[in-house]
Amino acid sequence: MTFEPQGRSLADFTVELDVYSGPYEWLLALILKDELEIFEIPLRELVESYVGARERDPAGGGLERDTDFAGSASALVLLKSRTLSPALDPDAEGDEDETLSPQELAERLTEYLKIRRAAEHLRARFAANAGHHPSSHTLPPRPGRLRIRPDRVSLAARRAFSRLIDPPVRHLGPITVTLQELAGMIRTALVTGPISYEVLTRRMDRLNRAVAFAAALSLAQEGALTLTQTEPLGPLILEPTALEPTAMEPSA
Amino acid sequence: MSEGPRAEHMIEAVLLVSAAPVGTSDLSSATGLPKPELESALASLQERYSPETSGIVLRNVAGGYQLTTNPGCAAAVERFREESRPTPLSNAAHEVLACALYLGPLSRGAISRVRGVNSDAVVRNLLERGLLVEVGTDREAPGSPALLGVTDEFLAATGSSTSDDFPPLASLVSPEELSRVRDRLASASAPPEDAGEST
Repeated sequence: MTFEPQGRSLADFTVELDVYSGPYEWLLALILKDELEIFEIPLRELVESYVGARERDPAGGGLERDTDFAGSASALVLLKSRTLSPALDPDAEGDEDETLSPQELAERLTEYLKIRRAAEHLRARFAANAGHHPSSHTLPPRPGRLRIRPDRVSLAARRAFSRLIDPPVRHLGPITVTLQELAGMIRTALVTGPISYEVLTRRMDRLNRAVAFAAALSLAQEGALTLTQTEPLGPLILEPTALEPTAMEPSA
Repeated sequence: MSEGPRAEHMIEAVLLVSAAPVGTSDLSSATGLPKPELESALASLQERYSPETSGIVLRNVAGGYQLTTNPGCAAAVERFREESRPTPLSNAAHEVLACALYLGPLSRGAISRVRGVNSDAVVRNLLERGLLVEVGTDREAPGSPALLGVTDEFLAATGSSTSDDFPPLASLVSPEELSRVRDRLASASAPPEDAGEST
């Protein structure tokens, strides 16, 4: 895969990768080969370059190539956003929402760099040892050589006959909201005109926000409203459609 | 009075009927040869079955000895068996194997964390190809995920007898490269205020 220079920010570098293995490979390529400032990676232009390269070579890789690119690009966006915004989400839970400082990113990248070089070493070893065909004689099972370990038999028996422990679910709590309730709330809010999703869900918790989004999608599918987003990651606007009864002028 | 078969002959015969590498203890118990005589015979066989002199080679891989065809004859063998060589592994697959080899055994999540991208599909492919195997579970982690390690097939495919045959991880990357990455990230530790706009 080749990114040819396009536009202002990409004018000075070219990234050549056979297959994207992930965002770290991408970052390393940029850091080691092109001396690019990673906080200024022009992702939009990178995407445009990819689309351009794809149009010039439509048969080269197909869906798999696109999937690799999309996966790596989205992971890179997430990585960059986390690196730039250490306090992006103070309510973050678990590894999925972790933030990365530049120092932590440096540690991740140096660890990945070692693995990348190890992978290159493995590739050479696989190539050097290809073409060895062993005998086709597969030995029959040799039960006489099986070792019976009483401790493992005992452990297996205990597991087989013990009652399964129900997983703790208390933290889940009761479900307190329904799609219909939030659909109704959206319809009510739309009476006064368009409203942004952020304003609509400002006072909601995560569960309600998620259900409100699902309700908005459902209403959009029914034709009751239109979802508009003028720029990627920009505000999501919910607009009542002309056919929506709640948005119509009251009859005289 | 007729003499019994020579040590080399017995070893050859045993290796011929085994697709998997045979360890020296199994060879010794099968042939009845004491260890010094076995090692001497194996050394003699390795000379006879070297790639320069034979269409069959004796390899010391995956903790044992294995007779395989000479790679120089691979094309003829593959034509005869009407089979093609397996598709080469992708970069991602090599990275996952490197993780399992050098950092393993480790879970799918840990592999994805090292690589910075979800690796489940690659892991699944490597499990199907017999190069990775579940060697246990991480009982400390939520959900007790399976721990993955490399297999004897992996060792044989890379011409290795054990995992120790690989160079240390630290030796595979130059200190200059590592410091270059650290320096680049360190210099970026105070991003400009408008840095996010380029995303």
